[in-house]
Amino acid sequence: MSNNKFKVLVVEDEANICSFIYTLLETNGYQTFVAPSCELGQSMFGSCNPDLIILDLGLPDRDGVELIRYVRQKYLTPIIVLSARTTEADKIEALDLGANDYITKPFGTGELLARVRAALRTNRYSSNPTGTFRAQDLTINYERRKVFVGEEEIKLTQTEYNIVAFLSEHAGRVMTYPAIVKAIWGDTDCGSTKKLQVNMANIRRKLGSRPGKNTYILNELGVGYRMIDEDRDSHTEEDA
Amino acid sequence: MKQTIRKTDILVLLGVFALAFLVMFGIQRISGRIDGVASMVFVLAVFLISIYTDGYFWGVMASLLSVLAVNFAFRSPYFAFNFTLPENLFSGLVMLVVSIMTSTLTTRIKMQEQLRMESETEKMRANLLRAVSHDLRTPLTSIYGACSTVIENYDSLDKEQKVKLLGEACSDAQWLNRMVENLLSVTRFDNDKVAVQKTPTVLEELIDTVLVRFQKRYPDVNVKLELPDSFIVIPMDSMLISQVLTNLLENAVLHAEGMTQLTLKVFTVGSHAVFEVTDNGCGIPKERLKKLFSGMLPAEDTADHGKHSMGIGLSVCAAIVKAHGGEIKAESRQGEGTTIRFWLETESIETEENQDEQ
Repeated sequence: MSNNKFKVLVVEDEANICSFIYTLLETNGYQTFVAPSCELGQSMFGSCNPDLIILDLGLPDRDGVELIRYVRQKYLTPIIVLSARTTEADKIEALDLGANDYITKPFGTGELLARVRAALRTNRYSSNPTGTFRAQDLTINYERRKVFVGEEEIKLTQTEYNIVAFLSEHAGRVMTYPAIVKAIWGDTDCGSTKKLQVNMANIRRKLGSRPGKNTYILNELGVGYRMIDEDRDSHTEEDA
Repeated sequence: MKQTIRKTDILVLLGVFALAFLVMFGIQRISGRIDGVASMVFVLAVFLISIYTDGYFWGVMASLLSVLAVNFAFRSPYFAFNFTLPENLFSGLVMLVVSIMTSTLTTRIKMQEQLRMESETEKMRANLLRAVSHDLRTPLTSIYGACSTVIENYDSLDKEQKVKLLGEACSDAQWLNRMVENLLSVTRFDNDKVAVQKTPTVLEELIDTVLVRFQKRYPDVNVKLELPDSFIVIPMDSMLISQVLTNLLENAVLHAEGMTQLTLKVFTVGSHAVFEVTDNGCGIPKERLKKLFSGMLPAEDTADHGKHSMGIGLSVCAAIVKAHGGEIKAESRQGEGTTIRFWLETESIETEENQDEQ
């Protein structure tokens, strides 16, 4: 891996934030490029062909959203959005445009690294889910369409299984309500977010999740759901 | 001074006049003589109208109408105008003066009332600002101090010391962030008095989010949870309400000395979802309980409590709950513990359990 490092492009105008992200990524084995503006980000995207983009939305020249649009015209390069904006609407807009994930400032270094790993991994394996998925006690056998917690098999309905499987295929990434609804029911009709939420309540009960405990599926209130990732530290921020 | 004509003002005018006429006819029935009383009754009417309407317009209008009415109906010659009698002119003048003076007075009182209210909110804001800047300075000092100590003495400090200093800077920065989150929550709806943006939120998901976040910050604290079994949806700004719950839980951890049990309980009463955060810590003294949600701390407390001032967090909670149309209350017994309780309106509960088979 060391001679074939992942390349990460960081588009961020704050020098101090750039500096710590750069140091963090370099020391963790990623080759890192930094662009301080949307314009430069675009040209560096073309010249260095990164495996991942970390993008700040508040850039001096243009809104970072523009860069997402530009990249998504042709490429599937994963994009993680850094945002100081805390309203759900901004997150949803970025995700709808094709960003893979978002992380709200201020963030812990562990959290950032976990998201980077998740984004790079899903980019490689997302197309055909075969074999098994494992996260903590949760096991999903895709071929037999079965879900286990520990040794115990969990009886899920078709819809519930489809939701769990869909989220696990994108583990570590937040999936918006409309995206899940579209994947499960084919179309987005009015009130289907509610339908999804009711199904999620049943899934949680069946998986034995109590609020704050055994959470395999994390809530991103007002945005969507995120399945926990294979590696254990993925959702532990460096909070003291 | 004349604003858009308000419906209530017209109603007041008509109502009071109708009453005045009724009184007059009553007196006429009883005593038969009304000449002397008429002016008195209408002066009273003008006075009342001036008090209960806005600005000068209605008062002056009322006095003119009164002069005409008295002159026309209740003075000999009855049911005819007679402006030659000096007596009639004089009573008209008196009414005009009364109405103008009353209007001046009431307008001034209203203005003063408004000024007083403004200065009160201003005072609250200033208090909040003072408390905040004090609270911000403490962690900033320690972050600044720790970082510059590490930079200036990088070679002489051993690794352990450096990690300790930087760790402190780190946790203070996190604390600072929580503070800013709180302030941001307030500006999120206080800006131009826009009502909060409510989206239907599943209770269980809200509580889960709060607890996951809370346990990251305080892994050693065990929160006892009591939730209803049913699927409850509450329209709310979930970010703000989770801020409220986080603040309440955090306050219990930071301030309820001797606490061994922390409970978060949610139950429904009618269409209300009631949230309760209960601790069995040291309790809150009565005199502080009253001002708990106002953002104002007794003077002696602000000085030495440093980062542990809870006034801001709670006044933010109160503002958020209020903006949602709910209510927040605190109960506390010294030595036994504190309960903070607030309610929100739930969405009409639907049973959609049978939807999950396809």
